[in-house]
Amino acid sequence: MHDRHLTADEIQQQLDDELAGVATLAPALQAHLRDCLDCQGEVAQAEALVMALAASPDFAPSAGFADRVMRDVQVFEPWYAALDRTFSPFVPASWPARIAAGVAALIGSGATVAGSWWALQRADIAVFLASIGLDEVRTQLLAAGHDLSTAVLGPGGVNTLRTVSVESMAIWTGAFVIAAGLGLVGIRAMATAADRSS
Amino acid sequence: MPNSDELGTLPDADVVRLAQLGRESAFRELVRRYERPVFSLVFRMVRDRETAEDLAQDTFVKVLNHIDRYSPDFKFSSWLFKIANNVAIDWLRRRRLDTVSMDGSPHASTASEIEASALELEADQETALEELESRELGAAIEQAIAKLRPEYRACIMLRHVEDRSYEEIAATLDLPLGTVKTYIHRARHELRKALEPARS
Repeated sequence: MHDRHLTADEIQQQLDDELAGVATLAPALQAHLRDCLDCQGEVAQAEALVMALAASPDFAPSAGFADRVMRDVQVFEPWYAALDRTFSPFVPASWPARIAAGVAALIGSGATVAGSWWALQRADIAVFLASIGLDEVRTQLLAAGHDLSTAVLGPGGVNTLRTVSVESMAIWTGAFVIAAGLGLVGIRAMATAADRSS
Repeated sequence: MPNSDELGTLPDADVVRLAQLGRESAFRELVRRYERPVFSLVFRMVRDRETAEDLAQDTFVKVLNHIDRYSPDFKFSSWLFKIANNVAIDWLRRRRLDTVSMDGSPHASTASEIEASALELEADQETALEELESRELGAAIEQAIAKLRPEYRACIMLRHVEDRSYEEIAATLDLPLGTVKTYIHRARHELRKALEPARS
């Protein structure tokens, strides 16, 4: 038997050894420990302390703690995650369907690229067709404007408008806009006053 | 995408990855998993429920608002406990609310440093005899923990309450491994001394 008791550090070491399932204490000290009731008592007390600590309960924060935390947390979704979330519903679940969708997407994008390339090669035709389309739109808009003016002002009013100079037209238009604006402000003020009184 | 029940079965690393992708349910799951351990750690450090709630909340807000900075090379819980410990230590430093030391700072190398760094007893500290009167080992342990130095307190709780290894504690608290062992050994020694009357 070793001729001295274990020091405090050696007792701690023995405790750590027991928790880790190893034996690092010198063989002579281990032999002493096997025979010395005092040292065994010291180690047992240290073990009891560790067991009591391990049995200590967790404390719980008050109810709603998670909500209070989340109120101050900024949940940020990175662009690649948003992209994935946007398109993932359109991705088929099964692999054959995914392959078919991929082939269809390739054919569609190929046709789009080929069509665009063809249109670029024939830009003169595209410009000609676009000008025809724009002329038609302009004609239709003018006709619609004439019909609206005739319906509102009558044929006489339209003829009068044709004789009025550009300056006079601007003055009358301005006066109309101001009168309409004042009318709107007045209506809104009346509605506000009605709300307050109710 | 996992629902709330499935989230509960995922390891921390997967839940953190979902949180990094902006899933609010993953953030909530992390709070659910760790609100008790974090609150317990902070509460045992500061010994005031309201303050502990505020500090635990600060901890989670800091961690979750910087979840994109988390590196999977480390355990999420170690990162979380590190922030919680820092938040609690910062508060203790600001409030100078500390407790008892038997022998001054373990970093002190001279007699004057030891004396200067020795902490003071709180006026309302209960004596070992009063603890004996309580006849409840659990309560006595809590009171004994409260009297430890904050750095001992964090180490002993992570080791024996949260069941962390010495290496994890060293990484969590940014301390050398030898220092962690020293703190834990001293903490156990002080706890045993404080609890002797309750056991006898």
